[in-house]
Amino acid sequence: MIAKMALTPDRDPHVSWAPEREQSSGIAASVRGVSKRFKKSRVLEDISFDVAEGESLVLLGASGSGKTTILRIIAGLEQPDSGRVILHGKDVTDLPARERGVGVIFQAYALFPRMTVEKNIAYGLKIRRRPRKERRETVDRLIKLVQLEQHRKKYPSQLSGGQQQRVAIARTLAYKPQVLLFDEPFGALDAQTRVHLRREIRALLRQVKVPSVFITHDQEEALELGDRIAVLNDGRLEQIGTPDDVYNHPATEFVATFLGAANLLIGVAVGGFVEIGTAKLPAEKETRRFRDGQSVKLVFRPEDVCVSQDANLPEGCRRLTNGVIEEVNFVGAYERLTVRLDLTHRKGDTDALYEVTINTPQRMTGVPIMVTRPKPEANALRYKTGDRVAIGLTSFSVLPNYTLARQR
Amino acid sequence: MKITSIRHVSGFDVARPVSIGMMLGIMLPLVLLPLLSIFVYGFGKGPGVFWSSLVAPEAVFALKLSMVTSFWATAFNVLFGLFAAYVLSRHDFWGRNAVIVTISLPTAIPTAVAGFALLLLWGKYGMIGRYFSENQQIMFTPYAIILANIFVTFPLAFGVIKPVFDTMSRSLEEASATIGATRWQTFWHVTLPSLRGAIVSGALLTFARAVGEFGSTILVSGNLAGRTQTAPLYIFAKFNEGQIEAANAIAIVLALLSFVIFSVLFFARDWLEFAQEA
Ligand SMILES: Nc1ncnc2c1ncn2[C@@H]1O[C@H](COP(=O)(O)OP(=O)(O)OP(=O)(O)O)[C@@H](O)[C@H]1O
Ligand SMILES: [Mg+2]
Repeated sequence: MIAKMALTPDRDPHVSWAPEREQSSGIAASVRGVSKRFKKSRVLEDISFDVAEGESLVLLGASGSGKTTILRIIAGLEQPDSGRVILHGKDVTDLPARERGVGVIFQAYALFPRMTVEKNIAYGLKIRRRPRKERRETVDRLIKLVQLEQHRKKYPSQLSGGQQQRVAIARTLAYKPQVLLFDEPFGALDAQTRVHLRREIRALLRQVKVPSVFITHDQEEALELGDRIAVLNDGRLEQIGTPDDVYNHPATEFVATFLGAANLLIGVAVGGFVEIGTAKLPAEKETRRFRDGQSVKLVFRPEDVCVSQDANLPEGCRRLTNGVIEEVNFVGAYERLTVRLDLTHRKGDTDALYEVTINTPQRMTGVPIMVTRPKPEANALRYKTGDRVAIGLTSFSVLPNYTLARQR
Repeated sequence: MKITSIRHVSGFDVARPVSIGMMLGIMLPLVLLPLLSIFVYGFGKGPGVFWSSLVAPEAVFALKLSMVTSFWATAFNVLFGLFAAYVLSRHDFWGRNAVIVTISLPTAIPTAVAGFALLLLWGKYGMIGRYFSENQQIMFTPYAIILANIFVTFPLAFGVIKPVFDTMSRSLEEASATIGATRWQTFWHVTLPSLRGAIVSGALLTFARAVGEFGSTILVSGNLAGRTQTAPLYIFAKFNEGQIEAANAIAIVLALLSFVIFSVLFFARDWLEFAQEA
């Protein structure tokens, strides 16, 4: 694949930096059933996913969930115990890192400290013994692409974090990588730069059309960078889907709570409704896959709750129950309410199929949930502690309640 | 009000000149005067005598021999130190720590013992030497001096290079591998440049130590003037013969050489440290 790496002359500024291929199956990289353990601890468990041509996939997970290990396995820096890695249809599991042609942007960028920006970028071509003229042309185009014209003679230590990162990207683009792998690319930067840089990178990737895998533990970053997001939990892949999918239709409780705030209530699916204590939420579609009487989790985001002082909830909002406002906070762009729901058992109803105190240590009457309202709405109608309100949901997910089985 | 605070207000602290003076006072007879005396006596009879002592054939030979043998010992120990540091920091194997301790051992052994040990091994009746024919004997030739120099300076370069290897970030080498470089290319283009400072300082230390080596050299070289007599042996021999000027001229050269080497090590530290941080 290295031999095929003919660099085409600059026809237009939007020249693709992806490798040229005869046929395109649409899948750039694919990880099949990869497992890995270090000594006694199991780090990855049967991980499978694909990265489509030109796509950017984000691996999202808490610290220690195995994200870096997956990346290193794709790059060939780590060998999986089982499973295969396939790049553009070719099984590369047994190839060493240098024959895989992937581009890795390391957490601290790993630029060569003794080489100037130019030399760092030219390194891949020098190693491949490309002619001097070709090297110079490629470096010129890449330096222009990542806008480092004024810094080409500088050493990495003389560059800012963001500039170093662009050098690292250009250094991999020079040899037309099969796929770009970013390990927490913004980890070392301050919050403002992070936001700025990830937009820049997103734009750059659209331009170069190289499929990429990002690692992050920042959900906001994941939602913004990913065409698709794969959520990892403790070495297992919990869900993979578009940002809309994983955010609005989380497949597991972990995904729901890891990607932003979520309220969680435990109830029972009965005849097209989710019953939670005294409350009955119409959920014909959402409960279809459950049998009657099955224990379920109701998961919904704070912004998907509608609150009303009378019984008339807005259109598209399904009535859940009533509650009392316990707390009102302004948190910058939105207002956060804590509402305690009336979910007490009916008198004489001793046969509790649900546990309404899941989120609170104290067995009080009712469960607190978190509600957020956008500023205009909050300003139009202010609530104060003690107000009684009707509560409805615009959107929610119903998940099977495996908690006890999971906890073992 | 405390006494100390009065001193601070007055802006003059007696402790300062007293302590500096005391330090220099102790150093004077122990270090400074001996060094000074070399130069005082060396030039005492005028530069003409100094010069003729210096260019005497035996003196020139002794200096050359010291330089050449030290050079080869340094070259070997730097290369070996580099290789050993690479192996020992990249691979874990049973007995690794024992090897590290063994490499470091020669500095702790008295040089006379080292020379004696070499004689027992390589000498005419030694464990290995006995299998060599009469004209293949190594002892009492310049090769013996190189062997002795290698032995006594063995851990110096290794000791400087190994910690740099240990602290070097692996991700540089991994980055190089993912870019497509072979192990050798990675070593040459990425690892070695980061070791530049350590290699230079390791080499200078080794060389300085080898040039001055006396105890082991006098045992294994035979101290034959014009054949196996190194500069320190020349000083010793001339002094014993009562030719103080001859001894002194070489002593000055060796002292100046050490000054130069240690000034490079000291004042180039910024450059060397920058070289090592990578
Ligand atoms: N070389 C190794 N030897 C032993 N254990 C390892 C090794 N590399 C990783 N691990 C373990 O594997 C687990 C996953 O590590 P990994 O670096 O993949 O996590 P991560 O998701 O990248 O975490 P972070 O967000 O903190 O970077 C961790 O528990 C870690 O301790
Ligand atoms: Mg990591």
